[in-house]
Amino acid sequence: MSNADKRTDVSEGSSGDEYAVGVPEGRGRDRDADGEASTIIESRDLSVWYNDNQALRSVSMEIPEKRVTAMVGPSGCGKSTYLRSINRMNDLIDAARVEGEMLFDGKNVYDDDVDPVALRRRIGMVFQQPNPFPKSIYDNVAYGLRLQDRTENLDEKVEDALRNAALWDEVKDQLDQSGLDLSGGQQQRLCIARAIAVDPEVVLMDEPASALDPVATSKIEDLIDEMAEEYTVVIVTHNMQQAARISDKTAVFLTGGELVEFDDTEKIFENPENERVEDYITGKFG
Amino acid sequence: MSNADERFGRVSRRIGKLFRAVLFASTLAGILTLAVLLVYVANDAFQPLSADPGWHLVFLLTLVVPTVATGWWCYRRSYGTLATGLLGTVMPGIAALYAGGLAALFIDVIPTLVWLSFVIALAVPAGVVVALRRTDRSIPFLAELGAVLGVTAGSLLVVPGLVQGLPTVPADWMVLVLTLGLPEAFLLGRWIEGRWGRRDGWIAGAAILFGSAVGGVLGTATGFGAIPGVALTMFAAVPTALYVTIVLRERPERRIGLLLPAVIVGGALAGELLVGALGLTGPAAWVDWGFLTSTTQSGDPRSVGIYSGIVGTILLMFVVAAIAVPAGVGAAVYLEEYAPDTTFTRIIDVNISNLAGVPSVVYGLLGLGLFVRYAGQPTGTLLVGGATLALLVFPIVIISAREAIRAVPDSARQASYGMGATRWQTVKNVVLPRAFPGILTGTILALSRAIGETAPLLVIGAAQVFGIPDSWTSTIGAMPLQLYVWASTYASPAFYTTVLAAGIVVLLTAMLSMNSIAIYVRNHYEQR
Ligand SMILES: Nc1ncnc2c1ncn2[C@@H]1O[C@H](COP(=O)(O)OP(=O)(O)OP(=O)(O)O)[C@@H](O)[C@H]1O
Ligand SMILES: [Mg+2]
Repeated sequence: MSNADKRTDVSEGSSGDEYAVGVPEGRGRDRDADGEASTIIESRDLSVWYNDNQALRSVSMEIPEKRVTAMVGPSGCGKSTYLRSINRMNDLIDAARVEGEMLFDGKNVYDDDVDPVALRRRIGMVFQQPNPFPKSIYDNVAYGLRLQDRTENLDEKVEDALRNAALWDEVKDQLDQSGLDLSGGQQQRLCIARAIAVDPEVVLMDEPASALDPVATSKIEDLIDEMAEEYTVVIVTHNMQQAARISDKTAVFLTGGELVEFDDTEKIFENPENERVEDYITGKFG
Repeated sequence: MSNADERFGRVSRRIGKLFRAVLFASTLAGILTLAVLLVYVANDAFQPLSADPGWHLVFLLTLVVPTVATGWWCYRRSYGTLATGLLGTVMPGIAALYAGGLAALFIDVIPTLVWLSFVIALAVPAGVVVALRRTDRSIPFLAELGAVLGVTAGSLLVVPGLVQGLPTVPADWMVLVLTLGLPEAFLLGRWIEGRWGRRDGWIAGAAILFGSAVGGVLGTATGFGAIPGVALTMFAAVPTALYVTIVLRERPERRIGLLLPAVIVGGALAGELLVGALGLTGPAAWVDWGFLTSTTQSGDPRSVGIYSGIVGTILLMFVVAAIAVPAGVGAAVYLEEYAPDTTFTRIIDVNISNLAGVPSVVYGLLGLGLFVRYAGQPTGTLLVGGATLALLVFPIVIISAREAIRAVPDSARQASYGMGATRWQTVKNVVLPRAFPGILTGTILALSRAIGETAPLLVIGAAQVFGIPDSWTSTIGAMPLQLYVWASTYASPAFYTTVLAAGIVVLLTAMLSMNSIAIYVRNHYEQR
């Protein structure tokens, strides 16, 4: 099951490619005007417990392919938990227990025959705190490729990933230097480069810009916008403007782990159905 | 003042002050006791009062005063300068100590030819591994493992016999240059290449190889011995030169600190010359070359030596490290990275901590029961002693390795798992490299604990040693055991204040050198 096969698989018979061609430059949300994209990730009645504490309550939603989907909501409402249950990073937490289905490419990732390691090779992840390895910039980006023994044309792939992460020009002369010597914003872009170097189908981002200053944040936002042409991006953020700027779809979670509303970003921010969502977005609580 | 008192009142601190005074007193009591003890031992071991007062005066003027002055001057410049100077002084000393230990092994325990034959026997499977790596990776892992194990076993059976039967035998120093100098030149050359560029790497590699050969030839020519010559150049001179080069090239602001070791060496030489010229006699120290290299055991303190204890301890440490480190680190990795958090693992957890506190004599009894009574090994051998001490330090290695592994931030693991790494890949690429300095520190400290253990060795029957062990199954001595024998079998006032003190000094030097290495490793990597 190689990555390339899967990707053609997905686009076959789906409307994904049509839209990729016609994507207008500029803000991600504009892409939505073109219509519906096919679903790549779908959760059905997904509930997650940490011991006896329920963090997600029966969440169902469909995440479109090659779009940016934002998740917002007050602290502790289960956004990170949802993100981690997509690529089964929850498996690493002893206390976590999952019920319901999480379909990726039509297959429940919690089925017994799914290898979480193989799954994570197709779904990349970027964390809140930039966490490069204490290795050289080059080795950081090459990490995932080496794990998978995909080392032909390594130099080229590393360069591509760094270019796509808008970091190449800044680091091309210091690829041997430690990734930890970069600034926070550069480190986060390095982590993004590391995640996309293996050419995943989905990139999950958990508050990728919350530890960064406004300039670095806007670079990351531009980057996410471009990434949506090739990848499906799911991003957790606390910054409403950011969600409004970069996402096509927005999911609003509220305390208790409920998904209260999930719709086009425009709709959520201009005309939400739910009163509590409106209150939250306009900052009346949360 | 009184105004403030009226407004806020005053809180009494009498009890606090008393508490503080008591704490200070107990700290002082501990330190003073130790200091007095050490002064007593040092006085007995070195007999400084037996020297001419003029001797002391000469060394005071040529060595002590300049050293203190230079040290103070360095300290005033910056703490880093002084640290550079101290490291430049201590490092060559410790390195020479260990090089000496290694030389002792090659002189008395392992004939160089035997060593060479086993190195070649192991080089064969290593070559096979490299060759397999180079070819494409379609070979299944188990087949690869089987092939490598098969080749290793075969080569260990055949090659040593072949090599030892060779008609012409290479000289000792050639064997050492080939088996130790070449890898050292290669590894350090690679390391320097990464640091300063390709050319410097090649130069350094060639210099190291050439230097160790020169050491061997010079050693033979001067009668100092070929083996100590190579060992000292390779493991003392080369690291020292490397350190000096690093300081000169990368730490110009601290360069001046190297004055300290220069002053110390120069002062010692000058003092030695002056003392010789003036005909002043030095102290009749009990720690001298004869004491360090004699294997004689008798009732005459003048003739006894600690050499068999030193060699025994070195060999024991190799066996202990070979058994306890892989097993302990493996257990730590399993418990931290693999084991689920169940009642069972918690019970294991608690029990490992308890094991670390079990009195050492109990481990001796365990070793006796396990290896001697049950496995039928003869008493008091290298293998049994090493295995028993390994049991003793095993829980300590586990605990310190677990601490080091736990200190690896979780975000690093998450990053790796998030990239689709398996557990093994994460452990290998992320956890172990990061935990390595901590594991190393803990291991050295555990070994330095094993060095001082006497009771378990007594229990398994290693008691009185006259010679040098020459196989796994020869009875073995150890430094603390030697001290125990001197203090019991030969108990007499003449022994207490003479060789016993000298032995304590040697034992403490070994332990302190290990501890200082551990502390250095820890501090060095903490700064990163
Ligand atoms: N490792 C864990 N063990 C136990 N409980 C956890 C764990 N991680 C999260 N929880 C609980 O699950 C709930 C949801 O947490 P989650 O981290 O998903 O929230 P979040 O929406 O990401 O919050 P934030 O915006 O602060 O990051 C919280 O009540 C939290 O206490
Ligand atoms: Mg979160």
